[in-house]
Amino acid sequence: MKLQLKLALYNTLTKIAIILFTGLFTLLAVEKVSVNHIEARLEKSKNRIINNLSSNEVNNLLTDQKPDYNILNQEYVLIKPIAKGQNDIVIKYRTQQTMVDGSPETYRILNTNFSFNGHDYRLEIGESIESIEDLKSIIKQFTLVVLLITLALTLASDLIFTRYLLRPFYKIIDRKLIKVNDPLNFDYEKVQTTTQDFTLLDDSISTLMKKISDLFILEKQFIANVSHELLTPISIISTRLENLMLQENLSEEAENKLFASLKTLNRLKSIINSLLLISKVENNQFNKSDTVRIADVVAEITEELEDRLEDKRIVFYNRIAYQYTMTANRPLIHTLLFNIINNAIKYNEPKGHIVISDDVSNNIYTLQIADTGIGMEPGQIENAFNRFEKLGSDEMESFGLGLAIVKSIATFHNISIGIQSQKGKGTTFSLTFNNRG
Amino acid sequence: MNVLIVEDEKSLALEIDEFLSREGFTVEHARTRRSAEEKIFVNNYDFILLDLGLPDSDGFDLLKMFKKLPNRTDAVIILTARGAVDDRIKGLEEGADDYLPKPFSLNELLARMHAITRRKHKLDSNEINIKGFRINIQNRTVMYNDERINLTKKEFEIFNYLVLNKNRVISRTNLTEHVWGDVLEINSDSNFVDVHVKNLRKKLSAFAPLDWFETVRSIGYRINI
Repeated sequence: MKLQLKLALYNTLTKIAIILFTGLFTLLAVEKVSVNHIEARLEKSKNRIINNLSSNEVNNLLTDQKPDYNILNQEYVLIKPIAKGQNDIVIKYRTQQTMVDGSPETYRILNTNFSFNGHDYRLEIGESIESIEDLKSIIKQFTLVVLLITLALTLASDLIFTRYLLRPFYKIIDRKLIKVNDPLNFDYEKVQTTTQDFTLLDDSISTLMKKISDLFILEKQFIANVSHELLTPISIISTRLENLMLQENLSEEAENKLFASLKTLNRLKSIINSLLLISKVENNQFNKSDTVRIADVVAEITEELEDRLEDKRIVFYNRIAYQYTMTANRPLIHTLLFNIINNAIKYNEPKGHIVISDDVSNNIYTLQIADTGIGMEPGQIENAFNRFEKLGSDEMESFGLGLAIVKSIATFHNISIGIQSQKGKGTTFSLTFNNRG
Repeated sequence: MNVLIVEDEKSLALEIDEFLSREGFTVEHARTRRSAEEKIFVNNYDFILLDLGLPDSDGFDLLKMFKKLPNRTDAVIILTARGAVDDRIKGLEEGADDYLPKPFSLNELLARMHAITRRKHKLDSNEINIKGFRINIQNRTVMYNDERINLTKKEFEIFNYLVLNKNRVISRTNLTEHVWGDVLEINSDSNFVDVHVKNLRKKLSAFAPLDWFETVRSIGYRINI
């Protein structure tokens, strides 16, 4: 759940609780106060009646045997004779609903016994509390209405306010984290906010990015320097070995060893060149200004690799149907596809298949390269793009840099790569060209 | 033919010197831009082998300066550890005749130098005759007694390279690199070369015995003449 929504919900719930509590409290207080008030009045009436009683009145009341209501049925008085010494009144006050003139009325009733002229009577005085009930229902309604209005207002205002409040936060996340592909292109400009916490967040991210990009630059410089400085000595050794090879009195064993050394040097050279390439790609040292037609590049590569296909008797299906062109670095795209197709040959079974197909959906071009090779385990797929990760561990000729190069070139061109593979069945590379062509 | 090596790495220059001298070139050596400039002003060379990273200047500056000199036909080959594609393109655009990234094979250097010589001088004949096989470098064909031998592009390249480096063992690695270029992550010592060489020999031996076309066990090939 979003923070914005959570805050709004929390505010709403606390406000509901406060309003409900206030409403309930008011309700109880009103009831208590009114009832006390009425009871006091009833007590007063009782005293007045008892003190002012005359035989006449008692007789009048007794002969009626009916409650004596006042004009508005607000009050009534009832006197009943009771047996001498009888005292069964437990509850002094009670509330009771009675039908009066066909409509229900709620009364607060006082019961008391008294003696008059040597007789015992029971006096019952009732007073209508209908008005209190009315008041209570009004309070209830009012509380409900206030509750609803507050609810709506709170929700709306909280949502709007928190959105305003959190805007810098989302701006920071979007600009400083999501949109950053490369720490070197990090935007250090501060996001405008008056909230200190966000300023802290912003500053922390910037500091972190600064550290990361410093390390990044350092690593790239290191790779570039090391690679460059290594190539010259390799050059010297390799030319020296070649010159040695030309000595005429060389034994066959010496010759073999010299060649083996040259081969090893060549391997070293390939590794350094691969690392250098990756470092340069990641360092954005290549232009992306060529117009590249993928179908042409694939055709070029298949021509170059024809002999390998033939050697392994691999059937190659080129099912490219779209003439997709992109602005890119042509040699790099060539290397990218070359490495993938070369892998598809290298790890294929003899007489296997390679299918290259493409598709366009939502204006996004995708290219699939599927082989019927040895396939990969899920764990291998995960590590496939890591440097020096050799897919076939017994593959002596692999340096484990081919797919690392593929990855860096793809990232450089905003191409995402997916691998689907099944051990023993084959591997499919999917390239998604995210730049709309 | 005389060659000027502009290279600050002394031992590398010496090795190249040794190799090219053996091939009959006269070699001079400059370690800095200043001494290179002095030599270039004084002499005409057939080849200038130019390293881009000089202690006192960028090799490109020297190249630019040289290109402004009138009436010079010296061929410039850039030799550098800066193997970037952009550098390569820049070097050729600035007027270099070829570009070899370090580390390179001396055989490859020689092959490039021969190619430039042929291109420059429209060599008396574009044909090399080897035991009756006539290799035409211009048309990229091989003939034997007026009969054309059908070679694939790669078979021709291999044959041509071996002939050019005759009497020298050429390793598979070297051959692969020459024919397929400096492709990264290529299995350089795989048997693809062998397959091509096998086919090449089959085609050639249909015309004449190939006892001069030698396989050097576990290393590579050699054409002995």
